[in-house]
Amino acid sequence: MKVRFNNVNFSYDEESVVLKNFNLTINDGEMVAILGHNGSGKSTIAKIMMGLLEVSSGEIYINDKLLSQETIDECRNHMSIIFQNPDNQFVGVTVKDDIAFGLENKNLPREVMEERIHKYLKLVSMEDFIDHAPEELSGGQKQRVAIAGALALECELMIFDESTSMLDPKGTKEVNEMIKKIKKENNKTIIVITHDLEEASYADRIIVLNNGFVVADGTPKEVFKNELVLEASGLKTMESVSIIHNLKNKEYKNKSLIEEALWELTFNE
Amino acid sequence: MNNIALGQYVDGKSIIHKLDPRTKLLSLMLLMVSVFLIPKPVNNSFGRLASFVMLLVFAVIILIIVLFTKISLLKYLNSLKQLAFLFVFTFIIQLLTPQGDKILIPNLNLNLSILGLGIILLWIILFIIFRKFIPCKLIVFLILTCLSIYLLTYDLGYSFTTVTLNLYEDGLFNGAFFFMRIFLVIMLSTVLTLTTKPTDLTSAIEWYLHPLTYLKINVSIFAMIISLALRFIPTLFNETGKILKAQSSRGVDFKEGTLKQQIGQIISLLIPMLVISFKRAADLADAMEARGYIPGAPRSKLNVMKFSLSDLFSFIVTIVIVTSIIVVSVI
Repeated sequence: MKVRFNNVNFSYDEESVVLKNFNLTINDGEMVAILGHNGSGKSTIAKIMMGLLEVSSGEIYINDKLLSQETIDECRNHMSIIFQNPDNQFVGVTVKDDIAFGLENKNLPREVMEERIHKYLKLVSMEDFIDHAPEELSGGQKQRVAIAGALALECELMIFDESTSMLDPKGTKEVNEMIKKIKKENNKTIIVITHDLEEASYADRIIVLNNGFVVADGTPKEVFKNELVLEASGLKTMESVSIIHNLKNKEYKNKSLIEEALWELTFNE
Repeated sequence: MNNIALGQYVDGKSIIHKLDPRTKLLSLMLLMVSVFLIPKPVNNSFGRLASFVMLLVFAVIILIIVLFTKISLLKYLNSLKQLAFLFVFTFIIQLLTPQGDKILIPNLNLNLSILGLGIILLWIILFIIFRKFIPCKLIVFLILTCLSIYLLTYDLGYSFTTVTLNLYEDGLFNGAFFFMRIFLVIMLSTVLTLTTKPTDLTSAIEWYLHPLTYLKINVSIFAMIISLALRFIPTLFNETGKILKAQSSRGVDFKEGTLKQQIGQIISLLIPMLVISFKRAADLADAMEARGYIPGAPRSKLNVMKFSLSDLFSFIVTIVIVTSIIVVSVI
């Protein structure tokens, strides 16, 4: 699934422009991490793609189809999103009902719904919680239910909009493991919106945003090597990458070889 | 805050849980109406006996229903606890309202003496100071109120005026009758909310409102609104609890202070609650829209309602109860 932003401009009010002449192409089957500090416009991109916000000017193409009021429902059929707050996206009164919500909207037959609910709850290891109420689940578990709900829609594109930012370390780990599993087992286009560099390091490609502009675009290794850009974008690099950068200032034998080995270790190349 | 039973579905596999939500909704509505059909106790012993026997029979029926739900009685009692003051208030108003000829306690002279009022004032102050440590506050408060009234019947000296009250026999019976009536209705509504998922309840309401679609009224939107409201009641109560704790940690005491201070304290709770609720509503609307919800568009249903033999049986039992009450009331 291909997404293309063409000269997109967006602002919440007249004074502050969030996106200015924004251009971006996300290719089919790619896992892209959009990095940026708070207010850099990364969540806005996700909402624009889902048709939840209307752009001031410019075009967005979803699989070469122009996103507009006429095509919005059709375009949404190809995409699913997992938001930041697990509580605010739990519509059903039980896990089963919540996953069914999206499927009911697609007007799918009951048998198909039952099959998908069980299949994807098993995938996110939440099958034992099928009849549980949201109040009985932890933040990580609720987010896994949201992932199962998004997966059950069987869309080609999945967006994770800061889906770990409200979770504790255990919940964050659960969700990150799930994203990696989806990437490995499904041929989906995945967009991870985050300000956590470690989370972004699992992606095939990282896009760094600063005040609505793309300031870096490349593989995790390429982007993380550019320490100055990360710092200027208000992002704190990963601990392991910091060590590599610090080693640059030291003198020792086989410096470049060791550095290369550390980069490889960091990104599991 | 966590004791609110409304909207809190308790998962279970009991016969009541398994009933078709349409049957449950209609049957419980009919039973609620029939509670109101039980005639008020009339001014003769047979009439009173008949009314109270009918209420008692109804209470037994509800108790059987409650036992069938296999949900802890504590859950039901928690929902009643919230309305305890309504029960007491109704009872006291009925007791003091002049009605009927027979006076149970005539000329109950309450001597408003300095000493008597002083002792009552002392009780109230001590109650307010130590209420955090008092278990079953309502019962203790009621005992203190009765003791205060009893104390005022004695002239303790320095009496400046005397108030004469008549406690009417009909007032006592009517008070007990209304108390029972509210109790039974609340119990019935609690059975419904504890054993029926909000989504099922909504489906049932949607089904009953279906004829309105012929008048071009979009029933599914109303059903979704009700469903979401019921879904978010526990969440918002949890949120209120968190704000209460956060404000308390900043020194706001919701239980103390003058009326003006208490209004200020309530505002400090209401404003963040409103802001959070609007934020939640906006996020939820985004999440629903992103998951393909289009108001009014056709949607399939995962939980298909099925009218079974047990539904038929329950419905027949309800009709028998309602008919019996109507017949007895007419006689």
